[in-house]
Amino acid sequence: MIDPRGSVIQRRLAGVARVVAVCSAKGGVGKTLCTTAAGAALAARGRRVGILDLDLQGSTAHLFLGAAPGLPEEDKGILPAAVGDNLGLVSAAMFAGNRALALRGPEITDAILELMAVTQWGDRDVLLIDMPPGIGEEVLDLARLVPRLEALVVSTPSAASTLVVERLLAFLAEMKVPVRGVIANMVRGDEASVREMARRFGVPLVGVVGWEPELEQALGSLVRLRQSKAAASLVEALEEVGL
Amino acid sequence: MHEWALAEAVVEATASALETRNPACLRGVTVSVGELQAIDHEIFTFALNTLREQRPFRQAVYRLETEPARLRCGACGTEWGLSETAGLDSESREAIHFLPEAAHAFVRCPRCASPDFQVTAGRGVRIISITVDASGSCAEGPASP
Repeated sequence: MIDPRGSVIQRRLAGVARVVAVCSAKGGVGKTLCTTAAGAALAARGRRVGILDLDLQGSTAHLFLGAAPGLPEEDKGILPAAVGDNLGLVSAAMFAGNRALALRGPEITDAILELMAVTQWGDRDVLLIDMPPGIGEEVLDLARLVPRLEALVVSTPSAASTLVVERLLAFLAEMKVPVRGVIANMVRGDEASVREMARRFGVPLVGVVGWEPELEQALGSLVRLRQSKAAASLVEALEEVGL
Repeated sequence: MHEWALAEAVVEATASALETRNPACLRGVTVSVGELQAIDHEIFTFALNTLREQRPFRQAVYRLETEPARLRCGACGTEWGLSETAGLDSESREAIHFLPEAAHAFVRCPRCASPDFQVTAGRGVRIISITVDASGSCAEGPASP
């Protein structure tokens, strides 16, 4: 048996200049905020952005972006849902809605392969991939399927975050996935712990995003999201890494 | 026309499987189409044949075989087929067509209603075999099940 899907993934990404996984092994540190706010802000500046929400079991990128999940349109594949100008989103929520999607490891790999094989991203300056917490199938599969994958790593200053994110940084180095930068998120005091962690791994701290309680009110509004302080900080971070 | 994307994958994989073999020696490709994904065979065949024309193996014949879907409950061990799966409306079928793993959002064990199940057969598209002419200057096909 030959699984044909992997054969076509490079072709699907041929028009995408950069493929960047926004990841953190720790949950709840703001990966989706960083992905969507950065994506929305970049799109507002005229960059062509794709967002792939690979948090299959906890997808919320559509919520942050104010996109109503629904079955995708087709044109020789599935088309990312247009969210405002210059931004396209693909999420498991387009297929499962808000139902639980309880998948085992091989099923996660199948879902990733399927989405990567049939999505027509077209021409994009960047594809941001919103990763789930953990170091599992999603990281392994993406590193295998997308040899030019880059990573942005998100951590809060809490020791509970940096302890776990260190594992991810070490793992990504082992997997030879280049980490373009670390983003300190939800910073209420200082970001020294994240800066120190990044320094130890030889990765630049490219962004510091402050704690922003008003962000909850921005959920569901693309305009508010891209006007948030987080978006401004993240655009600076992305400029640091050439996006 | 989501079938087109899968057909592209099959044709690309065919080319990769041939490796250094002479593509003119390719005779046929048998493709398993999982019942769960509900691929439209007519569209899929049309896409395969159209894409094949742009390749050096335009003489190859793509043959489709439907693989019945089988599901097995992780809780009670029941095995069942798609025809015994209740409650799938057109929207959920369409979702599963795009992403077969979406079945986990809609399907439950017909015996114990558990959402813990595996699709053991008939999920999606796979190449079963590639047949290469073995006569003359042609060599054996490299792909094997």
